[in-house]
Amino acid sequence: MSIEVKALVAALLVSGMVVGALLGAARIIHSNTSMPSGKSAAQASAFKNPRVAAGAKLFSLNCAHCHGIDATGDEGPDLHKVTKTDDRIKSTILNGVKGEMPAFGKKLTEDDAVTLVAFIRSLPD
Amino acid sequence: MFIATNFFDAGFWDRIHGGSTHLPIALTLASALLDVAGSFAPSGKIRETFRFSAYFTPLLATLGAVPAVVSGLMLTKWDAFGSGVTLLHHYFVWPSFGLLIVLTVWRSIVRHRTSRIGFSIYLIAALTAAVLVSVAGFWGGEMVLNR
Repeated sequence: MSIEVKALVAALLVSGMVVGALLGAARIIHSNTSMPSGKSAAQASAFKNPRVAAGAKLFSLNCAHCHGIDATGDEGPDLHKVTKTDDRIKSTILNGVKGEMPAFGKKLTEDDAVTLVAFIRSLPD
Repeated sequence: MFIATNFFDAGFWDRIHGGSTHLPIALTLASALLDVAGSFAPSGKIRETFRFSAYFTPLLATLGAVPAVVSGLMLTKWDAFGSGVTLLHHYFVWPSFGLLIVLTVWRSIVRHRTSRIGFSIYLIAALTAAVLVSVAGFWGGEMVLNR
């Protein structure tokens, strides 16, 4: 085996380990810190309404990145005082807003959107 | 996970990420261009000078990419992919980061003992890394401008 092939194998191993370690760490840390209002995944059951708890999980996985971990807004707006109708919120989630928010229609079902609306409605004003 | 997410505010990591990403992008592009220039150099000595410089630039680019990637992860609260433009940015960040490590490790081991074919493949991979990191930078810029 030539030095070039050996070097390639070593390079692929090092690269795989570094990138894999970072992606693995990101997956673990993100899943432990992405519940709204600083709640951990285990604390999701603290929501009395199971639909709201499910919505909180969906929110942390899909929305918290832009709307903030506690839904108070970051790149996207604060969701605590949303005045739009439930149907309008659902439509916005599924179809997005051109140039402002991506559409989640391919990733989330209508039922997921309804669940997210339940979570958003549960947020205090 | 206090340190991972709340050690500094988002604005701090935003600034660190913005400041640290330009170095690896510039050095990756410089490395590919130096190797291309070295390939067309008429004399052996000039070629060696170009290749010597082109060896250190990806090494520095890879070292510089580590704080850029870590600060980016801090900024996204360790969400390695995200959605929308952030997802597009990450589609190019991870392959370019991985490829940059491959190139650096390979060249550090092989050094001047490259065959013509081996170096040609390296050069194609280096140009690919330069394109990938530039596109990642483009989408990163789009995120900043769209705020």
